[in-house]
Amino acid sequence: MKNRVVLAGLVLGAIAGFCRPQDASAIPVFARKYGFNCTMCHSNMPRLNDFGQRYRMNGYQLVGLGSLEQTVLESPAPVALRTSAGYVGTMFNEAAGLSDATASDESDFRLNGLDLLSAGQLGRNIGYFMVYVPQIAAARGVAGQEGSLEMASIVFSNLASTWLNVRAGRFEPAFVPFSVKRQLSVSPYAVYDATFQDGPALSGAQSGVEISGHGPSRFQYAAGLVDGGGTNVAIDSPADVYLRLAQVIGAGEGQTAGQRLGVMGYLGRARPVDLLSVNSCRPADTLRVSATRRSFYRVGLDACLNLGHANLALQYLMAGDDWAFWGEKEHVIYSGGFGELSWLPRTEFVGFARVDYLDAPKIDSRDRFRLTGGGRDYGDLLRLTVGGRYYIEDNVVIHGEYSHRSEKSVRKAIDDATESFVTARIDFAF
Amino acid sequence: MWAGLALLAGQSAVWAQGRLFANGPLSPVVAPADNPQTDAKVRLGAQLYFDTRLSADNTISCATCHDPHTGWANPHSTDTGIGGQVGGRNSGTVINAAYMRFQFWDGREGSLEGQAVGPIHNPIEMGETHENVVRKLNSIPGYREQFQGVFGTDVTIDAIAKAIASFERTVVSGASPFDLYMMGDHAAMSPAAVRGMHLFNGKAHCTPCHSGPLFSNQGFHNIGVGMDKEKPDLGRFDHTKDPADHGRFKVPTLRNIAETPPYLHDGSEKTLMDVVNYYNRGGVPNTELDPLMVPLHLAEREKVDLVAFLEALTGPVARVDVPLFPDGAGVTADPKGGLR
Repeated sequence: MKNRVVLAGLVLGAIAGFCRPQDASAIPVFARKYGFNCTMCHSNMPRLNDFGQRYRMNGYQLVGLGSLEQTVLESPAPVALRTSAGYVGTMFNEAAGLSDATASDESDFRLNGLDLLSAGQLGRNIGYFMVYVPQIAAARGVAGQEGSLEMASIVFSNLASTWLNVRAGRFEPAFVPFSVKRQLSVSPYAVYDATFQDGPALSGAQSGVEISGHGPSRFQYAAGLVDGGGTNVAIDSPADVYLRLAQVIGAGEGQTAGQRLGVMGYLGRARPVDLLSVNSCRPADTLRVSATRRSFYRVGLDACLNLGHANLALQYLMAGDDWAFWGEKEHVIYSGGFGELSWLPRTEFVGFARVDYLDAPKIDSRDRFRLTGGGRDYGDLLRLTVGGRYYIEDNVVIHGEYSHRSEKSVRKAIDDATESFVTARIDFAF
Repeated sequence: MWAGLALLAGQSAVWAQGRLFANGPLSPVVAPADNPQTDAKVRLGAQLYFDTRLSADNTISCATCHDPHTGWANPHSTDTGIGGQVGGRNSGTVINAAYMRFQFWDGREGSLEGQAVGPIHNPIEMGETHENVVRKLNSIPGYREQFQGVFGTDVTIDAIAKAIASFERTVVSGASPFDLYMMGDHAAMSPAAVRGMHLFNGKAHCTPCHSGPLFSNQGFHNIGVGMDKEKPDLGRFDHTKDPADHGRFKVPTLRNIAETPPYLHDGSEKTLMDVVNYYNRGGVPNTELDPLMVPLHLAEREKVDLVAFLEALTGPVARVDVPLFPDGAGVTADPKGGLR
């Protein structure tokens, strides 16, 4: 039974760990720099609108308005803070421990972390973006967070033309079609974080270098060499490559206007963790790893469809991992996705509803781990999320959200694991 | 540390507001060094502005297309010049033209002096030659005396330009409800206009181009107007021949914009709401469409608010009556000053 729980943690633990409700980023430093309202670039903060997307793709410079640009030495102090405070309630059923051994019901008013952001121009066509997350000790009413330089990258844009831009450092890779940092919901996109033990969470920042480009035809590409997110303790050098292609049809950038279709592919290599060394009491960095690198891949299709004030985001992702990551005899393939409908009737309000699903790996571990009993369905996940954001000001938001997650039980004798999450909070940045 | 950052952020906000959006009332007009403002010159310029004898058939004055009663612009989509000829562009307002770096929709003139005499020899507008206008005005004693008094010379095309430009430099707008609001009178603008102001500087994406005291960055942009026609007006390209200027036109001031329908360089949009709807659609696609143009997804109420704000940019402009004209040249000037 113990091994069974441990193995469950390989994929579902990753989901639970990486996919905890999180806060996204917005960058008041840009609004402050130009004197613009946040809605210049955000349809509903933190989600970007088409104008904001073009600004981002242009290396944090206004497209065609170079005369307005000033470097960080000439413009206001490029610093912004963001946090949220409010009620958080999470209720698990009795089987919740199956996917997250540390999960326990909670009902609390609390502060939800703090991000310190800085971004701007270092020179013409040289921008930077930085997110620092200070360490905060958990306490009653305060969510703890580990200190980290979550992102710090420099982007050289318009090298010869818009077709060549280079970003280096630690950044949110372009292969993630729907930015986790700028999503409307607190509940995570589960599919981005489904992975093997210590595998890369696609939603996370990665260190490396990325080239990207776009043109008047609204075709976009991005390709990169990254380290796998640094979540794999055994990855000792950048080894992962990715490619993303997207085409926007119609006016806009496929954010709130125009339609966008995209594909992505990610090929990684990592040293599998020796699963027999996995023990729930053992620190992650002491796990034994294989001397041989194994490969894994992710391929995805996405679409962003806009009709009037409604936006439909669709993501399908398929994962294939070498057998060694799972202790299996054959490669392990699994898939998932989400569909999110958001409705933006006016500047002050956005409503959203999303379905996340994960067709989790079907693993026969009985031979390798001598597990007994149990089914082959392994933690398929379904998450339903609804919520809304009301903007008192561009940068002060009342956020309400309900999310229900259920994971199929691996044993007939145990109910499906479920989690109900509810939050009402004020999200603000300055 | 946080307190320090907050202080920095607050100071920065004030700085940025002052830079781009806190458009205060306009500063006094500065005349060029070689054409200082004098009362006599302005009076002479007013006469010339309304004098139909500057046109070939003595029917068209500057005021014909830049009518003080219609916002110093033309209420029709495009100009109608001599012989009923119809031009291709809407007449821009003279209000606050004194502050503009470029004149005409394509910016082909860099000064009011250059602009003032352009229409005289435009075959569609006034259809006259500069030489003939100079000869005609020199035959009018009242004009020759005034030119002698103001410039110390007989009538010259250069002096005509300077006199008209001096008069146009007096056509400026005063404090609008927006200006009063920014100076602390929060009752000066309606709640709808205040909401529209925030849209203007946010979701409606107006400020990147319509910024500064004039609500114009004085740049040139292709917003797609008329680009779906078989032979579109290429705007600034016709002047510069730079392919990047295809379809680009000057960003007009938005001060007193409510007084100057119809809108856009071809007068194709009849009302401010029509203009807002045009931008809301994201313009007409074309290869050189400015990347700043994207569909806005404004709600109906937001459009109404935005129009309310644009209307709040209207400030008072000094009233000007048609002056008396000196007789001569064998033709009497239209006592209505060419107004239609």
